[in-house]
Amino acid sequence: MTGSQTMQVNGVAIDDTFAEAFGMSGTALIITADSQKWANIAATTMTGFGTSVIGCGAECGIDYEVPASETPDGRPGVRVLIFGFSPDAILPQLKNRVGQCVLTSPGSACYNGLDSAQRLALSAGPRFFGDGWQQSKRFGGRRFWRVPVMDGEFTIEDNVGVTTDAVGGGNLLILGRDRVGLLETAEAAVVAINKLPDVITPFPGGIVRSGSKVGSKYKGAVASTNNAFCPTLRGTTKSELDADTIAVLEIVIDGLTSKAVSDAMRVGLKAVTDIGAAKGVTRVSAGNYGGKLGQHHYHLKDYVA
Amino acid sequence: MSGLRLRLKSAPVGRLDLSCLQPPVLTSETAANVARMPFEGGSLGDLFEVSAIGDADTLILAGTTDTCDGIGDHLKSGTIVVEGDAGSYTGRFMKGGRIDIKGSAGNYLGSGMKGGLITVAGSAGNFVGAMTPGEKFGMAGGVIRVGGDIGERAGDRMRRGTIVVKGKTGAMAGSRMAGGTIWAEGGFGPAAGTLMRRGTLIGPKAEQMLATFADCGEHDMVFLRLISRFVAAELGPLAPAALPARVRRYAGDLATIGKGELLLTG
Repeated sequence: MTGSQTMQVNGVAIDDTFAEAFGMSGTALIITADSQKWANIAATTMTGFGTSVIGCGAECGIDYEVPASETPDGRPGVRVLIFGFSPDAILPQLKNRVGQCVLTSPGSACYNGLDSAQRLALSAGPRFFGDGWQQSKRFGGRRFWRVPVMDGEFTIEDNVGVTTDAVGGGNLLILGRDRVGLLETAEAAVVAINKLPDVITPFPGGIVRSGSKVGSKYKGAVASTNNAFCPTLRGTTKSELDADTIAVLEIVIDGLTSKAVSDAMRVGLKAVTDIGAAKGVTRVSAGNYGGKLGQHHYHLKDYVA
Repeated sequence: MSGLRLRLKSAPVGRLDLSCLQPPVLTSETAANVARMPFEGGSLGDLFEVSAIGDADTLILAGTTDTCDGIGDHLKSGTIVVEGDAGSYTGRFMKGGRIDIKGSAGNYLGSGMKGGLITVAGSAGNFVGAMTPGEKFGMAGGVIRVGGDIGERAGDRMRRGTIVVKGKTGAMAGSRMAGGTIWAEGGFGPAAGTLMRRGTLIGPKAEQMLATFADCGEHDMVFLRLISRFVAAELGPLAPAALPARVRRYAGDLATIGKGELLLTG
């Protein structure tokens, strides 16, 4: 962690530091169903266990609900985003998540949600569930598959756009002296970020309480607890925390573009500084590795109005 | 680049092959130069009155009859407006662009076409979107819309693409079809889908339905919404009303692999 406290906004200290993020690949799907409720169920299920590429294979989340008037089939929908290290790494995740969570969800259909020249074979796995009874239909430049299932047909687009300009790992660290107030502040920041398109906050409820450092004393563990930010270890380790800090929460941001992540950092920080002081937030920082690992740096001072 | 209007000075005595009249070539020239271009042993100016028009990349053919064949053959871009009837093989192997026929069209309309849009205000002859003898497949992409009826064997060996007919089809529409969609608002004539392997026929009724089509029951399929929206986007005011939520599905032709379907909306 680098940086020092130099700014105060509405009684909250802002570290002069930056979030260090990495280039990733990302794709987007539109999932529709007979009702918004079932579109949300399919989307929530398929983005589950998608908090970190390290343990989950992909980072996934719901971008926004899509009104029926804007979906390919005129039914209510949800746009979900999936991020991975590369297009090749996303493909098996698509196959498994769509095959196990969208294909299986009553009334669902699945379409491309990202305009991009580079494509992934969205239907490569799920369509073969049709066991030879699947049919393709091409309308204009788009090809769809109709897979017979027990409630009728599962419709899935043949391919989906993927970008290699995505960014993963934008982040805000929220520090303070009241754990409940901190959580309420982080929730408000996640709500603000979720209003923006092309970004997700992949962790539970958008919030991480177990920030990690690279490596571990144990063989085989690629990451371990970020002891410098663990309040109960203050005094026993080289701590980054102030004397009155009793909790730290992190918001991790993935976006289809660097600008989307940057915009999310801005609205997230604003949400924190708008209400944070009254909730016990004392300080905002960001996670980095000294700037040597990630290609994208988001300096907090750039987001202070 | 301006457009051109070519008006036949008199109705042709025999069949007239107009396949060489391509908008990108002609509209890049002045009307005077186009009139001097060689055609049928003379020049275009011998047969046509040539004049410039304001619509860029548009070729208007006026005074045509049902003996004017090959209009828009292999068309890749631009628009051809036919102010009259069109003969056979209109839009054959067309890849892009648009052909609007104000009258009716002859046989093999859009035969082997791969892309683009053909609209016919009147009716069309036999073998719309079909193959010609010796070929492997018929229409492989694009959209054909006919305002009246169409003749027999529409979509014979059709592979992809969409044919929309406001009227009804003749006998054996979709014969030997391998893919694509024929949507007949007025319904299908006898023996629709004879030996069809894949593909979709949509209409309110079908005369003398083949015994080799199996009743699969009434269903609401998401795909119906997709095709309704696609056709509406492609055809605008010419598009038929959206399909109903439920249709009766018949699978066939079971004399072959039986993966085609006849969807009855009535």
